[in-house]
Amino acid sequence: MNVIDKFKADFENTLNRSEGLIKNIRSKAFEKFISGKFPTRKDEYWKYSDPSAILNLDLNFNDSGNFEDENYDIILCNGKIVKTLTELKTGTIADGLEKGYITKELFKEENNAFLNLNNAFAINGCYLILDSGGKKDIKVLNLIDNDGRNQAIYPKFVIISGKNSDSTIFEEIRVRGNGTNFVNSVTDIIIEDGANLEHIILDDFAKDTYNISNICVKQKKDSNFRSHNFSIGKKLARRDYNIELLGTGANCDLYGLYFVDGNNHIDHHTTVEHKKENCTSNEHYKGILSGKAVGVFNGRIHVHPKAQKTDAIQNNQNLLLTDDAIIHTKPELEIYADDVKCTHGATIGQLDEKALFYLRTRGLNQEKAQELLMRAYVGEIINHISNEEIRTEMMDIVLDRLPKGD
Amino acid sequence: MLKITNLHASVEGNSILKGINLEVKAGETHAIMGPNGSGKSTLVQVLAGHEDYEVDKGEVSYLGKDLLELDVNERACEGLFLAFQYPVELPGVNNTYFLKSALNAQRKYRGEPEIDAMEFMDLISDKIKLLNLKDSLLKRPVNEGFSGGEKKRNEIFQMAILKPKLALLDETDSGLDIDALRIVAGGVNAMKSKNNATIIVTHYQRLLNYIVPDFVHVLVDGKIINSGDKTLALELEEKGYDKIIMESKA
Repeated sequence: MNVIDKFKADFENTLNRSEGLIKNIRSKAFEKFISGKFPTRKDEYWKYSDPSAILNLDLNFNDSGNFEDENYDIILCNGKIVKTLTELKTGTIADGLEKGYITKELFKEENNAFLNLNNAFAINGCYLILDSGGKKDIKVLNLIDNDGRNQAIYPKFVIISGKNSDSTIFEEIRVRGNGTNFVNSVTDIIIEDGANLEHIILDDFAKDTYNISNICVKQKKDSNFRSHNFSIGKKLARRDYNIELLGTGANCDLYGLYFVDGNNHIDHHTTVEHKKENCTSNEHYKGILSGKAVGVFNGRIHVHPKAQKTDAIQNNQNLLLTDDAIIHTKPELEIYADDVKCTHGATIGQLDEKALFYLRTRGLNQEKAQELLMRAYVGEIINHISNEEIRTEMMDIVLDRLPKGD
Repeated sequence: MLKITNLHASVEGNSILKGINLEVKAGETHAIMGPNGSGKSTLVQVLAGHEDYEVDKGEVSYLGKDLLELDVNERACEGLFLAFQYPVELPGVNNTYFLKSALNAQRKYRGEPEIDAMEFMDLISDKIKLLNLKDSLLKRPVNEGFSGGEKKRNEIFQMAILKPKLALLDETDSGLDIDALRIVAGGVNAMKSKNNATIIVTHYQRLLNYIVPDFVHVLVDGKIINSGDKTLALELEEKGYDKIIMESKA
């Protein structure tokens, strides 16, 4: 049985677990997935990442797994809520729809196979409502537990930042255990007028992980979204950001750091849709690649005709530590308004030999000198995190995980 | 302390040093002068261990060790310090963190414990006054956005923290105005003792008014063609290199 047939069997076997609105949404989404095209490398946006790797997997839907209680406010295990603090407004996607927190507009995606597939398996999921005017710091663990299966997991997380709320969400995606994991995750974020949301996302993947992650953000008037994305590659890891600036005066800052080693693969496609005037976007992604790792960065800025006075900046920098590491980087600017300011840049390089020599003449050995330069390199991204505790923690984690040049 | 014997070095196949002989004893200050392209900077880079330079022949003995066998960082930990002609900017590397890492790396090499945080801060505030540098520079990335003079003073500041046995000052006077020159020279002089030595590489006699050398050597086309006391520097300033070269050939 090929994997599409497996998806079909899984879908049919699980459909009666849903009822009402969500059942209808799931059915429509699965129809769209089946009638649509599964992407191939011939598609422009999949040129350097081969999605057919997923088609060759033997996968079964799974949403049960083991977890231990840890210091997180919300824990999802294989896509299902297993812990949540009572004072938080959370629940399953079905519950959110019934209560009217989530509208079905969120599920209308037509062209993205992975979004449709995720919607088709929106059996569990989690919403989080951040009340208007409130201030919250929330830690979420998105745990994928595998006891040796070949499993397909569909985490879905919906965050709604109420008007003028001010929140920080730290989300860790941890894949553990043996077996093969296809993790098709979607995070939907809606940021209402005047709200601030800072979202920090950290990957920790087991080796046989195929991760397709879509983060879709809708920003209203005068809202701020600040994203910090720390990703490590695996067999296939792709995280796309689709940001829509829907209200005037909205601003987004997208910071990213990816580090890949061995034969691993990382892909980021980001899109910022400037749909209204006076919006700003600022994107800075940095990569460190070693071994025979492959990285892809595609940053698209789309300025719609109405979006006058747009100010958009995009920058992608890459450090290649070995001769065999590869990076494909491409900025894409599509501008239909005339009074805008857009800049972009991409660089690929090695650690500065002059700087290394200088450090060594002060008594630091090669390894320590490299660490100091790496610390500086990643610090440019990490230092944007507002919360000092998280910032320090991220620096430690990142330094610990950096590829060591092999 | 340092004994250079018949040192030949090249870069990308171009021979630059063509038989340098030089002995420096503890407590001494040597000045090496010479026209552009004579090999002055190459000499100090080779001593510091820059891998772009190939040592083709000769020996360098430093404190009884074969200097050329040591790694760059080992040379530093053994007390060799190079004040760069063009100090390198290190974006994102905090100056204080950098100094502490360097000092602790050297202490570790010598089998000493890491410096106590309070002791380190005292050391820093003491030496920063000596070089008349602004405290704010400590919080900034190393050399980034520093003026030319600040960069040079920062080199001597690092030297004051690391307390080398043999300091190599590569054109430390270039780009300094007269006030900064006095401060830098004052810093170097304050560190002078009977246990350490300094080699100053310079084009001009100017710096030598403030840091008075015991010996002056004239380096031309990769060889020391003339050596003398401080009066040789004055003579050079007066007559120019061409005449000294002519005289030495005669």
